[in-house]
Amino acid sequence: MRLGLVRLVMRGVLDLRTRGRLLQYLVGTDLKRTHADTVMGQVWWLIDPFFSMAIYAILVTVVFAKQIPDAPLFLFAAILPWQWFQTSLVDATTSVTARGNLIRQIQFPKIVLPAASSIAGTITFGFGLFSLAVLYLVYPGRLSPWLLMIPVIAAVQYVFTLALGILFAGVNTFYRDVQNLLRHVTRIWFYASPAIYSVTALKGSVFGLVLALNPFTYLLTSYRNVAYYGMAPDWVGLLSVLLVSLVLLAFSIWVFKRIETGFAKIL
Amino acid sequence: MPASPYAIDVQDLGIRYNLHLTRRTTIKGSLAEWVGRRQRDDHFFWALRHITFRIAHGESIGILGPNGAGKSTLLLALAGILAPDEGSIRVTGRVSSLLTLGAGFEMEISGRENIALIGAFMGIRHRVIRDLTASIIEFADIGPFIDAPVRTYSSGMRARLGFSIATAIAPDILLLDEVLGTGDEEFRARSQQRIRDLVTRARAIVLVTHDLNSVSEYCNRALLMEKGQVLHEGPPEETVEFYRDRVRKRKARLAEEEAARAAAGLPAPVTLDGFRAPGRPG
Repeated sequence: MRLGLVRLVMRGVLDLRTRGRLLQYLVGTDLKRTHADTVMGQVWWLIDPFFSMAIYAILVTVVFAKQIPDAPLFLFAAILPWQWFQTSLVDATTSVTARGNLIRQIQFPKIVLPAASSIAGTITFGFGLFSLAVLYLVYPGRLSPWLLMIPVIAAVQYVFTLALGILFAGVNTFYRDVQNLLRHVTRIWFYASPAIYSVTALKGSVFGLVLALNPFTYLLTSYRNVAYYGMAPDWVGLLSVLLVSLVLLAFSIWVFKRIETGFAKIL
Repeated sequence: MPASPYAIDVQDLGIRYNLHLTRRTTIKGSLAEWVGRRQRDDHFFWALRHITFRIAHGESIGILGPNGAGKSTLLLALAGILAPDEGSIRVTGRVSSLLTLGAGFEMEISGRENIALIGAFMGIRHRVIRDLTASIIEFADIGPFIDAPVRTYSSGMRARLGFSIATAIAPDILLLDEVLGTGDEEFRARSQQRIRDLVTRARAIVLVTHDLNSVSEYCNRALLMEKGQVLHEGPPEETVEFYRDRVRKRKARLAEEEAARAAAGLPAPVTLDGFRAPGRPG
């Protein structure tokens, strides 16, 4: 029985919509698991990003101090969303293989697994925004109303992350190479994105083409625009990323639903 | 859609495992294979093939057969966990398999939270599972541990909680795999009582077992499976007798061969009693 592309994608979307409660529990479980057995428990959600921010801040004030003004804010505005992307993607990729036992025992739509991972990552990112807020105590002059656009940029990034997460989770079930490869790919991707440098620094070079094709060029530039420069996000760039992400999401759901029936056999 | 007269209608069911795509598959392996262009046929192991049977409402079917006959695969297919590669399965009503004996727990959250999580995985409505939680906890009888992470449970406690969740809702169609003797004497007695309750309430039952007596006791029909096929179908006594006869004949044949070999002065071969597809637990 093979359903057409549209019907299969719709079925995948329906899976997610009808299993809201399951998604909610899975996200809760994911969040609890990260800091189970720690004295401070959930407080770590706030402390973790704060520490990583502090390390970057110290590092860059020592190294980049002269080149970039207010370097900690410049960096953290891009590194925070990047870390959200990376952890969500890695978690989503292994989300199906990690639940092999359950998949062999209960019939349920497997697509909730990568979806839950990406939602849990988003909540962690939300906590990370608090430590970004702390930075404005040091650089109050950088505050601007454009900061309110962060959820809009994040929404675009979320669609992109979800799309890749669903695709990788499905393929990784058959080929565990994906999760290994991902570690290296994300590292290269990080340096190929304007996280620790600005796009203008590389305009016109050969590397410019790589940047032009990288969705994170537009996402990170937009974050930096609103959080650091106090200006509008790159609307055209964001819209393009959103459109590409939606097409990719449909493709990912289609692939996932096509191969989902085989999961129980190989896990 | 008119209500089907059958609880389960299996037509020409086939389920195969791709032997080259097991859990240790890597892209490199697949590429090598693809480049090598080996014969397609030897890629597959048919765990089930050409299986056709129907179970009417009110019936109770026993499935017999040696290890590796495909009994567990058949249950997984009836539960909807494995999709048919050939043929079709039509099931009318809510299916529940008592395969869920605790392996699916989330270790870092409490037993109580696991009840909610697994209930949601099983697709049981939130309100229903909330109302059932108290009785699930009572039946599992693991005391204050219910609010501790499942990681801290003994295997017996896990099995009890798993059983309690899996049996909390009476299904229309009950799929039973024999492994039901968990826990201490007291719990085993209670769990058997609960299974009897489910058996009386279910509209159809499929029981996989090695215990030939329980087939005669619980079932009104029995299938004998071997190597993924149905060898015999009929009343329980008849099928059990057929099976016993087959085992006797096989033993006799083996003994004969053994004797012949001993007479010829050859060493005894190493034999395996049945086999399983790779990557599958017993």
